[in-house]
Amino acid sequence: MRMERLGREPEFSRYMDLKEGWLDRRIFSDADIYEEELYRIFARSWLFVAHESQLPRAGDFLTTHMGEDAVIVTRQPDGSIKVYLNSCPHRGNKVCFADAGNTRRFVCNYHGWAFNTAGELQGMHEEYCYDEGDIDRKKNGLRQVARVGSYKGLVFATFAEDGPSLDAWLGDFRWYLDMLLDNEEGGTELIGGCIKSVISANWKFGVENFIGDAYHAGWTHDSGCRSMNNGQPFPPIDMENSYHASVNGHGWEFGTEGVGDLFLLGRPKVMEYYEKMRPKMADRLGTMRSQIFGSVASASIFPNVSFLPGISTFRQWQPKGPMQFELKTWVIVNKAMPDDIKDEVTKGVMQTFGPGGTFEMDDGENWENCTTVNRGVVTRHERLHYRCGIGRQIDHDTLPGIVYRGQYNDANQRGFYQRWLDMMEATDLGAMPPRPEPRLTGIAETRDLPGLFAL
Amino acid sequence: MNQTTTLERPRAGAAASLEVSHALTQTLYREARRLDDEDYAGWVAMLADDLHYHMPGIETRYRRDTTDQVTDLTRMAYYNDSLDEIKKRLTRLETGTAWSEDPATRYTHIITNVEVENTDKADEFRVFSNFYAYRNRNERDEDSLIGNRIDIWRETGGAYQLVRRRIILKHNIMLSKNLNIYL
Ligand code: FES
Ligand SMILES: [Fe+2]
Repeated sequence: MRMERLGREPEFSRYMDLKEGWLDRRIFSDADIYEEELYRIFARSWLFVAHESQLPRAGDFLTTHMGEDAVIVTRQPDGSIKVYLNSCPHRGNKVCFADAGNTRRFVCNYHGWAFNTAGELQGMHEEYCYDEGDIDRKKNGLRQVARVGSYKGLVFATFAEDGPSLDAWLGDFRWYLDMLLDNEEGGTELIGGCIKSVISANWKFGVENFIGDAYHAGWTHDSGCRSMNNGQPFPPIDMENSYHASVNGHGWEFGTEGVGDLFLLGRPKVMEYYEKMRPKMADRLGTMRSQIFGSVASASIFPNVSFLPGISTFRQWQPKGPMQFELKTWVIVNKAMPDDIKDEVTKGVMQTFGPGGTFEMDDGENWENCTTVNRGVVTRHERLHYRCGIGRQIDHDTLPGIVYRGQYNDANQRGFYQRWLDMMEATDLGAMPPRPEPRLTGIAETRDLPGLFAL
Repeated sequence: MNQTTTLERPRAGAAASLEVSHALTQTLYREARRLDDEDYAGWVAMLADDLHYHMPGIETRYRRDTTDQVTDLTRMAYYNDSLDEIKKRLTRLETGTAWSEDPATRYTHIITNVEVENTDKADEFRVFSNFYAYRNRNERDEDSLIGNRIDIWRETGGAYQLVRRRIILKHNIMLSKNLNIYL
């Protein structure tokens, strides 16, 4: 794809020094930097577009955004998934206005051009108005994304023709992702529907909060924790046995106590379910991962998806200008769960991390104010502090990625902004360094890997 | 025409007596006043033990789409709560650390279009209403939530208790950062 703005001299490294541990606030507020993000990050990253369970049958579709580009995601008769722009090649009108549904075709409201679910132009209203040679139907379909891929139920798409494969993009992070996506036979699904809200904050504040900010939980969410937990505050964090792990800008922060997040969900039945399952999870994923699962933890997939393994909220931060994002939230459950457990999880998530949830209610206002104070020209030139735990990097036998000890840490956030910088400056995505060198080279199946089990 | 994005409103109900209609209309206003005043203890006292308080998340879908987005309780919902679950949410406000409620949010609930009908049960009444809920906080945060409600209220010892409420918010994307409000 031609990207005119990519020709500009990259100069983004002046907005941060991650070895020192600071960021320039303009990356959270500046309109020009935001525009560059749309070109350099959102138009080139693998972006989450759907969970396969949202499109079970041929003709099922949903609409979403890749960056600010509106797209349609559809299930094809052969079971594959196509993703294309939700914009008619004639004058550009949207061809689909529904969030989701099932259809045989999309017909544009403006002049009646009709497209099949593969995005191909099938016909035009009053076709006789086009003379021979006026229109080549093959060249006037809905613009397809360059590549679509999926990892254990999560469907990703990218506008970048070249660049890393999805497996390479996720890299060793798949070892962690399997705790969410593959902890039980049958994999996962999303509960029907999607709850969306608007937050007047920069999209990165949501991502970095989930990627590593365990630190805020005990303070911001004291009230949430006490309300879900009979007045009890957050248990103290075990800084020896909790970690940050960063891979290619993705990140997972976690304890190893096994119950913290499950506890916050406030649903004893769900806790019982996982406790019974834990030995099986250990067989499946190894002891270490079975002990991480359910602990106080949070994670993000670069650039804009986050989730809480154990609490089961799954969400995407969709950029809408430098000072606004739309938050789309789903509930992710194991397919094999009995219906009453799925129900318990869904209710628990909405009571904690829905817009009216006891945790969620206190997050948005923080991020809004972190963003909007930068309307002040003096304020926006001030640096932000990202140095917490900067000396605590370790080598760990079992844990892949760039690993830091201690859950209260800015390490994953630094890893995220390092990748942000890599992408903002890269002319050739293939030349971006892996962060770190992968351990699981070439292995898409991260379950049952020998040598990765011992605690 | 399929109307999956609004309440399926029962049409057969007979209007309740003037007396009951008046009493329940006043009850709705009283409830709104308590919510405006953050008098949640007073509000909870108006809720029945077997309360079901439901506000589904409703996607934009084509008219031909028959997905039940309103009454299917397994789908995503802003609220899908029993009385205990509502109380649990409310305990957050008693902790003293609900930072985004301090300074306090300023609420106004405007309740209109009240209709009261009899049901099969002599002590229960179906109440339709519309709401306009306005929030303002800090310097200039503000939003409006608008929609329909359909309730069941039960008479107990001369007062009425809310047994069931379904709230249909007219937003697709909720145009607010949170939902620190009951409707
Ligand atoms: S804009 Fe779509 S048919 Fe004309
Ligand atoms: Fe939070």
